[in-house]
Amino acid sequence: MLIHEVLVVGGGLAGLMAALTATEKSDVAVLSKIYPTRSHSGAAQGGFNAVLGEDDSIAAHIFDTVKGSDYLGDQDAIEVLCSEGPELIRELERMGVLWSRNPEGGLAQRSLGGAGFPRACFAADVSGHVVLHTLFEKVLERGVKIYPEWHLLELLVEEGQIAGALVYDLARAKLEIIRCKVVILATGGYGRAFAKTTNAYANTGDGMAIAYRAGALLSDMEFVQFHPTTLFGTNILISEAARGEGGYLRNKDGDRFMARYAPQKMELAPRDLVSRAIFKEIREGRGIEDKYVHLDLTHLGEELLQQRLPQVKDLAARYAGIDAAWTPIPIEPAQHYSMGGIRTDIWGMTNIPGLLAAGEAANVSVHGANRLGGNSLLETVVFGRRAGQTAAKLVGKEHWPSLSQTAVSRYLEPWNFLLAGRVQGKQDDCPFKIRQEATLLMTRQVGVFRDGAELEDAVKRLAEMKERYRRLTPPSGEQPYNYGLIHYLELGYLLDLCELIAKGALRRTESRGAHFRLDYPGRDDRNWLCHTISRWGEKGPEFSDGPVSVTLYIPQERGY
Amino acid sequence: MSLSLKICRFDPEVDREPYFQEFRVEIAGHQTVLDVLLEAWRQDPGLSFRRSCRSAICGSCAVTINGTPRLACQTLIREIAGNNGRITIQPLAYFRQLKDLVVDLEPLFDSLKAVVPWLITRWDHDGCMDPGVSRRMESLASCILCGVCDAAFYNPGGTKPAAFVKGLRLAQDPRDVLNAARLRLMQVPPEILKLFVKKMPKVCPKKVKIPEI
Ligand SMILES: Cc1cc2nc3c(=O)[nH]c(=O)nc-3n(C[C@H](O)[C@H](O)[C@H](O)COP(=O)(O)OP(=O)(O)OC[C@H]3O[C@@H](n4cnc5c(N)ncnc54)[C@H](O)[C@@H]3O)c2cc1C
Ligand code: SF4
Ligand code: FES
Repeated sequence: MLIHEVLVVGGGLAGLMAALTATEKSDVAVLSKIYPTRSHSGAAQGGFNAVLGEDDSIAAHIFDTVKGSDYLGDQDAIEVLCSEGPELIRELERMGVLWSRNPEGGLAQRSLGGAGFPRACFAADVSGHVVLHTLFEKVLERGVKIYPEWHLLELLVEEGQIAGALVYDLARAKLEIIRCKVVILATGGYGRAFAKTTNAYANTGDGMAIAYRAGALLSDMEFVQFHPTTLFGTNILISEAARGEGGYLRNKDGDRFMARYAPQKMELAPRDLVSRAIFKEIREGRGIEDKYVHLDLTHLGEELLQQRLPQVKDLAARYAGIDAAWTPIPIEPAQHYSMGGIRTDIWGMTNIPGLLAAGEAANVSVHGANRLGGNSLLETVVFGRRAGQTAAKLVGKEHWPSLSQTAVSRYLEPWNFLLAGRVQGKQDDCPFKIRQEATLLMTRQVGVFRDGAELEDAVKRLAEMKERYRRLTPPSGEQPYNYGLIHYLELGYLLDLCELIAKGALRRTESRGAHFRLDYPGRDDRNWLCHTISRWGEKGPEFSDGPVSVTLYIPQERGY
Repeated sequence: MSLSLKICRFDPEVDREPYFQEFRVEIAGHQTVLDVLLEAWRQDPGLSFRRSCRSAICGSCAVTINGTPRLACQTLIREIAGNNGRITIQPLAYFRQLKDLVVDLEPLFDSLKAVVPWLITRWDHDGCMDPGVSRRMESLASCILCGVCDAAFYNPGGTKPAAFVKGLRLAQDPRDVLNAARLRLMQVPPEILKLFVKKMPKVCPKKVKIPEI
């Protein structure tokens, strides 16, 4: 048995920030299913929002975020996000982050969608990468223990309190118990629940599903962001920075169609609006080959592309075979961000004592029904740090929860059976098949446009897939690096989350932010200005409504 | 188009030595070596290789493709299938093979420690930096720690290339206390340095350029 006071699960920005903070006052370890520098945070291109300029203001950032969230964001949490942002950006600068500079040597800032001001700090177009590697350097400096390529399987909850975690070491194919006083889940989003997604293969929402099974409350799972500009086919993200730097969206007639949907903000309207506009163009026959539209950067000039958007240029060249300086890029919307997650307060605490969450895995909720570009990287560091502070405090106060030998055996029992034997050949109904069917279903029926009948059908078919999943023989895990087993486990997490997303979407009979119901196209504040809270139950998830914190801004019509 | 893949297999608990297994996969248009590896995995879920981002930013999928260390997700089939549609995939050279294409990465991450891989911030740093100075470090800062360079040039006992890139990036940072003193710390002999300067942009998937120093 291993022992740490604080176990951080996840080596992305939220996890590393939490670990760095907690390590000042407690014994911390980071457990991550991939090496921390491989985390999906590294793929973020656009930047971190924070108010630095004198003509910008925290109040404006708060308002943009509240409005962007379609008034579902909790305003107390948004206040924290926006007011702690600037200080954190400066702290990251002192840690060594190579922010791009303005001519005076201060931090350069660019516009991202939905913001009233160029407010995103960036590092060329590899912002997430640069910050992730800097935090990793600091974690090495502080000598934080890292368990790379270890997977969280289950949370140990004794007498209603976190007592440890059951984990799996992929390299040795071994189960271990880690005893701890606090677990911080920073396991990222569930993008891979959708066939078309910008997210990495690792983004399977493990932490959310595992917390849910342990009794934690999840919230707003039906709110899923679709990014308007992903490469047609591979769905590799083309950063919003491309539009921030002046890129145009054009349909097959060459029209900048956003003029009809968001005459003021045009291409820089919030993502939900732009994604729907693109699909509408395609549905109404103005798409190219009826499948995609163009992101046109040709008027920006080779030099600007090279300097400000080198990665965009590179990705288009490699994955679409296109020189973006001369040819428009074919793009389509795809899943991009998980707004929903483990319900926490502004200190990262969940409903289970000792269990904290931060980053994309959490729902605190600063993004409400729709996240603004640049706000989630900021969220990872602001609330990652807060979770670290809370953990350090709890460790000082709490006694070691009891964890008897019988309890340990009880937790291990079901998993021991799973790990016996070796991978067998092909099965008739293999996990690959179920995963493909489920994720396609999600993209088609629980995607940008939703309606009651299709959602009901999706719920029914997901239940059948869960049943098929239950009948699978697990690809046992005695051999090292058994990715077949991991794939199987991830499918289990995804199916739980798909059920919550689809049922939540069916239940919410209104349209708000990223959740758009063709049969209920209007926002309904009377009935639905509330969070969707879900909890594990014997007969399937139990849903209820949770209050939204409204401190400053009363909901208004959202025009752009 | 149908493609023949030869993939190096090895399970330390069963196999006495590595061997090649042949897979046949169908591919369409603009696909990468990672796409065909994933297809092979569907045929045999016991096949092990690392991957995550599929867009050349996480550094997971470095393997040897037809003899050259590269990122699988960044290598297009049509770039390499020249030799009659055959592709051979092996683990990275000079790393210990743990299972199939998975190698032991501890030496890569351990090698960083030798260069004190973090910024030691000057007390008088005021938060400003000349944009030109900052831009000059961008190439070095784009390293994704994939290990391709460590598999391309073998530098036994000396500072490994990936660690050198990290050290050099910090040595150029005006915020750093050690700054240029880091170069002495790393003790890279001139002939090795020359090799790095010349070869790095050619092997590195992120085209990291080592400036002449
Ligand atoms: C392509 C792309 C571009 C983006 N660009 C921007 C941007 O410009 N601005 C912005 O604000 N946001 C952006 N985002 C969103 C933002 O990057 C993410 O929301 C954020 O990085 C999430 O960080 P995280 O630390 O919460 O999770 P992640 O970085 O996803 O890390 C999750 C960690 O959890 C670990 N983990 C998961 N499951 C397990 C398990 N079972 N056991 C052990 N470990 C586990 C993983 O190993 C990983 O280390 C972008 C997202 C994408 C997909
Ligand atoms: S320098 Fe290039 S090849 Fe070497 S580890 Fe970094 S990214 Fe990989
Ligand atoms: S999968 Fe991330 S670099 Fe290839």
